[in-house]
Amino acid sequence: MARVDIDKLKRIVGEENVRNNPEVCYVYGSDSSVHEAFAWAVVRPETKEQVQKIVRYANSEKIPIIPRGSGSGMSGQAVPVKGGIVLDMKRMNRILEINLKDCYCRVEAGVVDDDLNRALKPYGVFYPVAPASSRVATIGGEIANNASGVRSVKYGAVRDSLLGLEVVMADGTLVKLGCCNRVEASGYQLDRLMVGSEGTLGIIVEAILKFVPIPKYRCLGVANFNKLEEAGNAIAAIMSSGAQPSLLELMDNVAITAVNKTMDMGLPDVEAILMFEADGMVKEAVDHEIEKMKKLCEEQNGFGIKYSYDAKERTKLFAGRKKLFPALSKYKELYSCTSLADDMAVPYSKMTEMARMIHDIADRNNVIMTAYGHCGSGCMHTKILMKANEKGQWEDAKRAVSEIYENVISLGGTTSAEHGIGLSKAPAFKKEKSDSLKYMKAIKRALDPNNILNPGKMMDAPDDWVKATKLRYNVK
Amino acid sequence: MEFRNLKKWQDKLHVCIRCGYCFEHCHIFKITGWESDTPRGKLIMLYGLLSGELKPDDLLAERIFECYMCKRCDATCSAKVEVTEIFTDAKNDLLEAGFDVYGTTSRTDEDKCSRCMICVSTCIHEARSYDKENDRIVVDRVKCQSCGCCVAACPSGAAYSKEGFGLTYKEMSKQVELFLEGVAQ
Repeated sequence: MARVDIDKLKRIVGEENVRNNPEVCYVYGSDSSVHEAFAWAVVRPETKEQVQKIVRYANSEKIPIIPRGSGSGMSGQAVPVKGGIVLDMKRMNRILEINLKDCYCRVEAGVVDDDLNRALKPYGVFYPVAPASSRVATIGGEIANNASGVRSVKYGAVRDSLLGLEVVMADGTLVKLGCCNRVEASGYQLDRLMVGSEGTLGIIVEAILKFVPIPKYRCLGVANFNKLEEAGNAIAAIMSSGAQPSLLELMDNVAITAVNKTMDMGLPDVEAILMFEADGMVKEAVDHEIEKMKKLCEEQNGFGIKYSYDAKERTKLFAGRKKLFPALSKYKELYSCTSLADDMAVPYSKMTEMARMIHDIADRNNVIMTAYGHCGSGCMHTKILMKANEKGQWEDAKRAVSEIYENVISLGGTTSAEHGIGLSKAPAFKKEKSDSLKYMKAIKRALDPNNILNPGKMMDAPDDWVKATKLRYNVK
Repeated sequence: MEFRNLKKWQDKLHVCIRCGYCFEHCHIFKITGWESDTPRGKLIMLYGLLSGELKPDDLLAERIFECYMCKRCDATCSAKVEVTEIFTDAKNDLLEAGFDVYGTTSRTDEDKCSRCMICVSTCIHEARSYDKENDRIVVDRVKCQSCGCCVAACPSGAAYSKEGFGLTYKEMSKQVELFLEGVAQ
């Protein structure tokens, strides 16, 4: 372990913002993924100048530095796999500017998504990325992972809401990337390079984001399907019809069973449920979209279709989907809900095929898997439910993950739609991007020659994700 | 150290999906901002103790005793983890192991205490009792929920607890001043 000069760090950020006692380093050594490691020290900067000083120090001593938001990442991006200084960005949480004339806001990296939307709401606008973790996810973390969520089908991912960035590079230099304008053709789009870079190319300290008007009308519909294929066909039909859903979500029968079993939600016993939503400023336009999607669902034998404009009713209709992730964690005694191959994207026309494959793979490998997700953007989530305390189950999970990704690639999909690569998905990512890996590595070397920025992740992560770190379960 | 009470949770701690939804509901985290002070952070620590990756020490024990059982994390936990029940077992184990930490629990200055028993009758959590043999007021640090009733009721100023979750009034005043300056700007 390289020696971290704790006193030096304390001089930069103040004594109360540096800790290196074991329990703190242990807590900051894990996130929402299956991985865990020990940090060497945890530092909480409050200004970009402090970040610059810390990075300069880490670079001079070749100490790894791992930026961290709230640690809600599911792939191990914030796990200090090679030790080092964890940079907790949550104190940099100021909303610096809400510019209504020029339609942008400027925020520090540690601002929490929901806090930003609370600040924007009085002005009738919102930042639409909306990952499920919006109540804890920080803007910096969202950008670093190119996050998205249920409304990505209409509003896109972080990259679609990002205008500009301020980033501390590996040598401590502060650079401005992008700008506050909607368009820019001034050379390389380096702000975009930082999107999805998972802290490996620079430390994001500030961002300029677009916002959009809060729609006056929002209508959510639900349709049931006796066959998964029919729900899949409905998704493809909706997306190819020119309809503009603001949300299009699928739940398979494993997901439905999980929610009913643990939350007593009373969802119908069907193979699939599709949720569709439209929003806008004119009610007739929203009506038109909803009617169109309803008709397409009916054409694919969708039944029991309900929809509502009422906010309370919509919350009720969506409750099953909203509570799905925690429901899965309580699905079966001693089974853990793990995020492994959990956010691939495939073309719309292949979604049903992918969902069926997921079920077959689960059966073959002695684990339980569900298929659900933001199908309007092609994103399919799976959670692998397994006895995480049993060593053999990790071999099962490893095989299942490998088979899933083989299928994802053969269907023309991609490894990660919104959670990022980190450690868990690195092997699949390396296969998928085999022809461009050398360019990614060249970029990394050019921007971070001492390899201090979140080292050992993405293309540099181990090929065996199970052995990449100690697992956060009591594996016997 | 044997975790007599805590070890029954060993295979259940993984039910926490580490979503972090407890962060915004935890007062201690809101004051300190350290993830290690969140319910999620404390659950991770307890897992570390059970797995042997962490060794119990005063700092760790102090953190566990900072939780004063408001149960907001229990109410909002998306995976319905029995957070405060787990913390209660951890507190019992740490006390059994001899850790003399207080966290946010109340204490009694024996020199000032007149043994009037007002604090005993005031305590709604039945955490305070009179130890006749040693002629002193005893606080059950597992039962105490740091409500402050005893501190407010004590006529001698003998009952006390950590102010403002670890901040002195002076430090709190400074924070308020800094906040107001920020608002004014």
